Amino acid sequence: MIPPMGIKALVISVFFFHFVNLEARPISYSGGYTLMMESNNMKDSAYYHYSPSYKYSIGIQQIKDKYFNSNYSYLRLTYLLNRRNTKNSQRNLYFQSGLSSDGLDHYFYGTHGDWETRSLYAGFGYKKTMMKTLDYIEQYLQVGVAPYIGEYGDLHTWLMLKSKKNDLTSNWDTYPVLKFFKGNALVEFGYSDTSNWDIHLMYRF
Amino acid sequence: MKKLNYVFLMMICITAAAQDHAMHDMEGHSHEGHLHDTMVDGKLLVVNPERFDNFVSTLEGKQVAIISVSGMVCDFCARGIEKTFAKDKTVLKVDVDLSGGKVLIAYSQDKNINFEEIQKKILSNGQNATDIQIIKI
Repeated sequence: MIPPMGIKALVISVFFFHFVNLEARPISYSGGYTLMMESNNMKDSAYYHYSPSYKYSIGIQQIKDKYFNSNYSYLRLTYLLNRRNTKNSQRNLYFQSGLSSDGLDHYFYGTHGDWETRSLYAGFGYKKTMMKTLDYIEQYLQVGVAPYIGEYGDLHTWLMLKSKKNDLTSNWDTYPVLKFFKGNALVEFGYSDTSNWDIHLMYRF
Repeated sequence: MKKLNYVFLMMICITAAAQDHAMHDMEGHSHEGHLHDTMVDGKLLVVNPERFDNFVSTLEGKQVAIISVSGMVCDFCARGIEKTFAKDKTVLKVDVDLSGGKVLIAYSQDKNINFEEIQKKILSNGQNATDIQIIKI
């Protein structure tokens, strides 16, 4: 039984912590490999990275760019700038960059950060891509809540909201995302009327 | 907007149900006569009772290090720690208690358990080991 004030607090916390986690876990534990696949209205991509230490990962991302109707790869680096662990939470700030197979005048850099407990998540991202013909910026905010706290090995579920903006499409687009997480696998489904499906799959080896 | 309202409502219902379930789990567990009631260096073991008793049930004559870990917030963290300790041939058994923020590591009785070594292993996974308690089974 939740007391009336509890319901009010719950509604407020759900409202404020309701955005996701699509860029979370960009670095594995030392010696870990990760495969990430993504599909949305702008691109399809597959990204495989290796983490020599928990502080950075290097990898290759293959992209089918739907907006520019082209295919290319990125050699990517993600570096953990700052991490704060507490008993019940972890906060991270990452730097990310990538150099395209198209040449030295096509690359990206940016930052993303997150804070999470076992039941709440909040994150943000900023990424600037430089191309031969134009530059553009992608930004996102995410929050999420886990409706129950599973034990290690259980199926974990997150209810989330993502709000993103791409300079190429101009407007902020906000939509709900469902995330399921079990063992080494993670899958996320988001859908909006504007940008349709936003799907992420991840497997850690 | 209608869709968002529906998602909010669904979240509230599931969260309320989960909280009710958690309250139910907290009721009615007897701790009498179990090893988890043991004092180590003047401190009571703070572990999940059922989990601890289950872990040590096959470890007679062994010793168990109970490590408090901060920053362990998901299964990926837990899996990394499990894999790290599984590589250590002196480790007999590992259990990660995500809810309690504990890692239980079983060693043979003659093993000299070094907390600094354990801290390094946990840090290599991105978390921090903050405390250790060692209990002989």
